[in-house]
Amino acid sequence: MSEKKNGKMIIMVTHGPEDPERATIPFVMGVAALASDIDVTLGFQASGVMLIRKGCAEHVFAAGFPPLKELMDAYIEEGGTMFVCGPCIQSRKIDPEQEFIEGPVVVNAATFVAECAEATNTLIY
Amino acid sequence: MAVEPNETLDCSGLSCPMPILKTKKAIDKLESGQVLKMIATDPGSKPDMEAWARKTGHELLEYQQDGDKHIFFVKKVG
Repeated sequence: MSEKKNGKMIIMVTHGPEDPERATIPFVMGVAALASDIDVTLGFQASGVMLIRKGCAEHVFAAGFPPLKELMDAYIEEGGTMFVCGPCIQSRKIDPEQEFIEGPVVVNAATFVAECAEATNTLIY
Repeated sequence: MAVEPNETLDCSGLSCPMPILKTKKAIDKLESGQVLKMIATDPGSKPDMEAWARKTGHELLEYQQDGDKHIFFVKKVG
């Protein structure tokens, strides 16, 4: 990802398709931040990890916002980074190689901690 | 004197954050000093565009409201 000029934001996504609004707003914020020249990492934990399974985003719609798939495509196209919690996917028996869309990196707590410590702002949804 | 845009972008009907994203993409294609006219119907677009201009450094030259349409003239800086 190219270095943007206005700092770095970490956005933690902890809700999946069971809560469309909380699943969608992190991507809204992420896309707006990227468009404002701010580097963004979305961090997926808990049921938030379900959002990056292939075919999931296509089924998530929150009133008042663009469809999640549209936002996710824009986020990836604009160079946003995605980190996914390793234990959260292991406990759900998810095989990231087979089941995730392209792009997310599986990490553990120390990476999230370092990312948050280095960021200008952290948002949690 | 009215501002003459080099390009016009109609974001009518689009909801947050798409007007900002499309504005950024349109501005990226302009030369420094050129002007983009952007039209949005999202009621939050005025504070959003002001915040976006503050963060990116592009200059919000003019704002008009015509019914439910919010019209912005943005000059590309840098």
